[in-house]
Amino acid sequence: MIMVVLLVWRRTHKANTAVPVAHADRLTSLPRYQKALAAQKKWLAVAVASLLLMAGALLVAAARPVQETNHIPQTSNRDIILCLDVSGSMMDTDEEIVDNFSELVTEFKGERIALTIFDATAVQVFPLTDDYDFVAEQLKIAKNAMNIDSGNFDFFDGTYEVPGSSLIGDGLASCVSGFPQEAGVQRSRSVVFATDNMLAGHPLLTLPEAASLAKTGHIRVYSLNPNDYSTDSYPDQIATELKVASESTGGAYYPLKSDSAVKSIVKKVQDTEAAKLKGAPLKTVVDQPAVPLGLAMLGLLGLGAATLKVRP
Amino acid sequence: MPSLLTAVKSKMFIAAHRKARGMLDGEYASVFRGHSLDFDDLRAYVPGDAVRDIDWKASARVGAPLIKRYVATRRQQVLFVADTGRNMAALAKGGESKKDIAVMVIGVIGTLALNHGDSVSLIHGDERGTQAMPAQGTESHLETLLRRVDSTAVLTAGQSSLSAQLEYAASHVKRHTLMVVLADDEQINARSAKVLRRLAAQHEILWIHIEDAELAGVDALAGVSYDVADFSPVLSALAGDPELARDYAYAVAERSNRRSEVLRSNRIAMAGIGHTEQVMGRIFALLERHRRAR
Repeated sequence: MIMVVLLVWRRTHKANTAVPVAHADRLTSLPRYQKALAAQKKWLAVAVASLLLMAGALLVAAARPVQETNHIPQTSNRDIILCLDVSGSMMDTDEEIVDNFSELVTEFKGERIALTIFDATAVQVFPLTDDYDFVAEQLKIAKNAMNIDSGNFDFFDGTYEVPGSSLIGDGLASCVSGFPQEAGVQRSRSVVFATDNMLAGHPLLTLPEAASLAKTGHIRVYSLNPNDYSTDSYPDQIATELKVASESTGGAYYPLKSDSAVKSIVKKVQDTEAAKLKGAPLKTVVDQPAVPLGLAMLGLLGLGAATLKVRP
Repeated sequence: MPSLLTAVKSKMFIAAHRKARGMLDGEYASVFRGHSLDFDDLRAYVPGDAVRDIDWKASARVGAPLIKRYVATRRQQVLFVADTGRNMAALAKGGESKKDIAVMVIGVIGTLALNHGDSVSLIHGDERGTQAMPAQGTESHLETLLRRVDSTAVLTAGQSSLSAQLEYAASHVKRHTLMVVLADDEQINARSAKVLRRLAAQHEILWIHIEDAELAGVDALAGVSYDVADFSPVLSALAGDPELARDYAYAVAERSNRRSEVLRSNRIAMAGIGHTEQVMGRIFALLERHRRAR
């Protein structure tokens, strides 16, 4: 190997032995020679630059450059059930919640949403669905029905089948059972639970019982209470019960100071959900050979062009 | 070291047969204008003899041309003025070193001179200085001159500066000589032209320039070369461009024309020699031209 290299070197060295000539200015002083010389120099520079570029690019390509992306699993695979207490005291809040969700639903991608209303008994207005046109339509009907000026109570048919009002435990249990028994795909489940916990009557399940039911189903309950009368010194007994029940499911409790605060609360619920849904970020590693190999190709092209242009 | 003169003579022998060499003798004899007035005898005409030396009456009687010979023809001197700068160490058109051609020329003309009983001398040098060798009529002296040219015209010598040698000749040589200028393929600058005008009045001048290697065109030098002037590389491969080759041919013709112009205006005969094989023929033609030019 070394012998071959030496032989080649000797041969080229021998061939390169320059011979002396006199009056070379016969040729070298010609403007066209100067121009050709400049072009020669230029193309030699191009050749060297191309070679360097190619070598560098191939070196980079050999190092396998990768693009690393941290991917947080989608937050859109979740199910939300709006669970609204439609007793008289809750109407304004319900309208506000429904209105907010009819706005939110336009931004949903893949989430499923359902609406259940309850008073003495619970009625599922529509089950979990991602047919957003249908959802928007249903939410609009619900909003109209819940409007204080509406005289039509057909929407609330079926919510007074047993004596009593605001049977909270039963309502929540109904909502919780609205989630399908899916074994395969794990979707997050949450209930937006609007009630003031003003129980009147005898429910089949108490609120803590319904909450434990939710907990077993990995369902988080976010409660919105418009009638929280607690102060710093005097906690409202009823509100506290709702708060404890909600938090036991991993959800949260929000007292509403006014109906206009619903929007911010709904947003807060969404954010909390999003935060909870965030799993461990997944690292995706993708080879990025295009740029270095492209540069190497460019170098090769430059070298080829220079080889054609440079005279030996 | 083998004798340079022997090498020159053997080349002469190969290049021209006896008759041609005789013609060359005749051409050489007619170079000198001066004759003594003392008639010696007649001899047979050989081609190359000056027509004015023919004795027409005697020729008419004999039926063959006869040449008048004169006694005490003055011993003439042949002065070689040679450029031995490093330009002469460069390649000639034929691929040899230019000084080899110069040695051949000095050897051929020197031999002719010695055959006629004339003496030979040498003025040579480069930009660093000019040296002179005295006139003598022996073969060993001619051999010394040849060796001097051969040993001084090397790549380590100074730049060529023929005008310095011409000026030296103008200021140091007092007598009438046959001056053979062995020039590089150079331009005749104003300085040379001025001194040439003076020299042409005093001497018979034969101008022989050794042609340089071609840098472009069909006879172009293959491979890498460098300029002896500054040892910078010459990319003669660039002259593969036909347009550049055309420019080059035009420039070379231009230079050649300008040189011819200067020499012709001083009535100096000249010849370019690119290869040792051309030496005999070109010298003959040069002597012929010189005789006709008078």
